Amino acid sequence: MEIRKRKKRKPMLPISSMSDIAFLLLIFIMLISLMNYRKEIPIEYSEAENLEVTQADNNIEIWVDEIGNIYYKGAIVNERMIENIIVDAVVINPATRIHIIADKNTKYRNVNKIFEILKLLQHRAVSLVVEEKGT
Amino acid sequence: MKIRRKNKKYKGIVDSGALSDLAFLLIIFFIVIAVFNVNKGFMLGLPMADSARLVNVEEIIKVYLDENNVLYYKDEKIMLNELEELVRANFIEKPDMTFLLKVHPETQYQEFVNIVERIKKLEIENFSFSMLEM
Repeated sequence: MEIRKRKKRKPMLPISSMSDIAFLLLIFIMLISLMNYRKEIPIEYSEAENLEVTQADNNIEIWVDEIGNIYYKGAIVNERMIENIIVDAVVINPATRIHIIADKNTKYRNVNKIFEILKLLQHRAVSLVVEEKGT
Repeated sequence: MKIRRKNKKYKGIVDSGALSDLAFLLIIFFIVIAVFNVNKGFMLGLPMADSARLVNVEEIIKVYLDENNVLYYKDEKIMLNELEELVRANFIEKPDMTFLLKVHPETQYQEFVNIVERIKKLEIENFSFSMLEM
């Protein structure tokens, strides 16, 4: 009896499903980046060297512009509102980190308002967000 | 003349090979954008309201930052670099030293950040700051 030889198959990688996977990843990362999206307030960042990463898992960003307006999520808020926002966030997650992003030309008293609120709430750790010098 | 018909029938195939490249480029773009949002700066420990702590007076360096962004130590003007040297020398002598900064309400925030930067650089643990009551 004659033994029939099997035809050798050429080694192939199916790449048609790669684009599907890539697009799923793309949608996932787009969603994540949208969740992390922050509303930038037009300020001049203060500058320094030897910075450390102060980002935590849960963050609250409080912005102070040159004339002393306080912003949270792109909207102007007053001291009372900021106090409530911080209290609500800390009640849900005590490890919430407060970031102060203030204009370098603003007066110290404008930033001090937030320090006083944090002291009153006994929230001890605060992050001063600054930009690396020369960037 | 005989017109030749085209025999080749094109099958409806879409070349998806380049799509994955495109998608990966977009992924890299979004990852880079996400990295931009990482906050950098300094971590500060705030004192509790109405909290008091006993500190040896001789171990305190009290500095005043006025509204014209000028630093004063013992009522004399001092440059930031001189202050750094002073703090460094004191820190070697007295490791429990406390650096106390009084800031005028009208001082520019950047000047305050400059001092915080130096203090962080010198790794001074006992750093206290407050606004000058007017």
